[in-house]
Amino acid sequence: MARGGSNHSRLLLVILLVSSLLLITLDLRGVSLISGSRSVTQTVLSPIQKATSDIFAPVGRFMSDVKNFGKTKAEIQDLRTANTRLKNQAVLNADIKGQLAELKKVLDLAGRGSFKVVSARVIGRGSASTFSQTVTLDAGTSSGIRKNMTVISENGLVGVVKDATINSSIVLLMSDPTFRIGVRVARSQSVGVLMGEGTNSYTVELLDPSGSLEVGDSLISIGSDNNRPYIPGLPVGVVTKVDHTTTLLTQSATVKAYTNLNDLGIVSVVVQAPTAAPNKPINPTPNPTVTVFVTPTPAPSVSNTASPSLSPSPTSSVKKAKK
Amino acid sequence: MSPTRLSISSAFLFLIFVIQESVISRVHLPITGFSLYLAVLICLIALEDRNGAIVMGFIGGLVLDLSPTSQSPFGQWALIFTIIGYLVSSNLESVGDFTSQPITFVLFIAAGSGFALLTYLVIGSALGEESGSLNHNLVVVLGNFIWTLLFTPLFLPLIRRVRELTLTSRERV
Repeated sequence: MARGGSNHSRLLLVILLVSSLLLITLDLRGVSLISGSRSVTQTVLSPIQKATSDIFAPVGRFMSDVKNFGKTKAEIQDLRTANTRLKNQAVLNADIKGQLAELKKVLDLAGRGSFKVVSARVIGRGSASTFSQTVTLDAGTSSGIRKNMTVISENGLVGVVKDATINSSIVLLMSDPTFRIGVRVARSQSVGVLMGEGTNSYTVELLDPSGSLEVGDSLISIGSDNNRPYIPGLPVGVVTKVDHTTTLLTQSATVKAYTNLNDLGIVSVVVQAPTAAPNKPINPTPNPTVTVFVTPTPAPSVSNTASPSLSPSPTSSVKKAKK
Repeated sequence: MSPTRLSISSAFLFLIFVIQESVISRVHLPITGFSLYLAVLICLIALEDRNGAIVMGFIGGLVLDLSPTSQSPFGQWALIFTIIGYLVSSNLESVGDFTSQPITFVLFIAAGSGFALLTYLVIGSALGEESGSLNHNLVVVLGNFIWTLLFTPLFLPLIRRVRELTLTSRERV
């Protein structure tokens, strides 16, 4: 009897193991029924997550504050020091203001290549049952969010949309070990790849052996084909430690991200890529077109012709309109 | 394990899964998060007989595979928990039933959660997944072990009670 029971258990075990392996194979081969099951779960979960988000957000924030208590204290001290330094610098800034006015005009030109974003609230964080680093947003395809869209915060890159349902979307954070993004060093224009490591620090590896990295170098995203998954020109992080290992062909460094991924409340998803990316020429803004309407004045010997003119004659009433 | 109890246990596991994904994952605990779902599933597996443990492991793993945040292929958790179900049930017969000893049982659940995460990493690596640095992953496993050890005594009596409610009169005997 016991032997029969044991055989039955083994048979059951084999059947279930084979079933599991079959499911894994089907999923890896991209069978839509299997892949879609997670989207269905997300659709079911998102209303519950939204509801519980409001109730449990204070608890989550409290735990986050407790966790970061020591760090916050140190940050306050750092900020005080920085504030004193900035006050001294403010005196010198008067001279720079004039230059800034001119710079703004240039920035306005670049600003025309701005992108359209959809802001969303973070309603959930990745499960503790997996090692992936994700957050769930309360906006989905109904808001125009699609898979492989860039997600940003006020400080820079956050991650990329991994999956989207009607009312929610899952964002793969840049700290995830599978995350990779092409970056450019702002100072030297060297190109490299930034990799997530599952922690708050990141690694950047340059592609060019002659490229150089220095502590304090800012990293900017290069962008992808058709601006998906990544749009170009986003602040990604700053180099905090350079690895001088001579065995490596190219230089690598440790990077601190501009965005604090532990404290995400509201993020923005770039739903429309820049119309003119930095790698394409941006045409200067055309001057406002002047449209001139000339009303003929009854004059005995003059036959007026309606010709556009920037300096109309005193006998004409002129209306200007910006196109 | 009767089909009725199997259905009720599956529904109960799904409820725990929803709580895990909606509530527990929002709480940022130091070191790493706590997985209520893993703890409950290990607990239920340990309380079952051999066939029940294998089936419970498979179904529990399938529910966990539904996690939208998971990057692993669908079926990986089902595979892991089927193996764990078999290992636990077959060793319980030789080691002896310790589920009536609270401290030992809590230690077992915490160790089981850690073992499940480690197996996930190993099978994930075999399937070509990237899981990040080994140090970080070990910290995650250790953190989960500690939180499970601390939190399990709080809900263990409830899990036992719920399970007893699902038992048929024949199974009670």
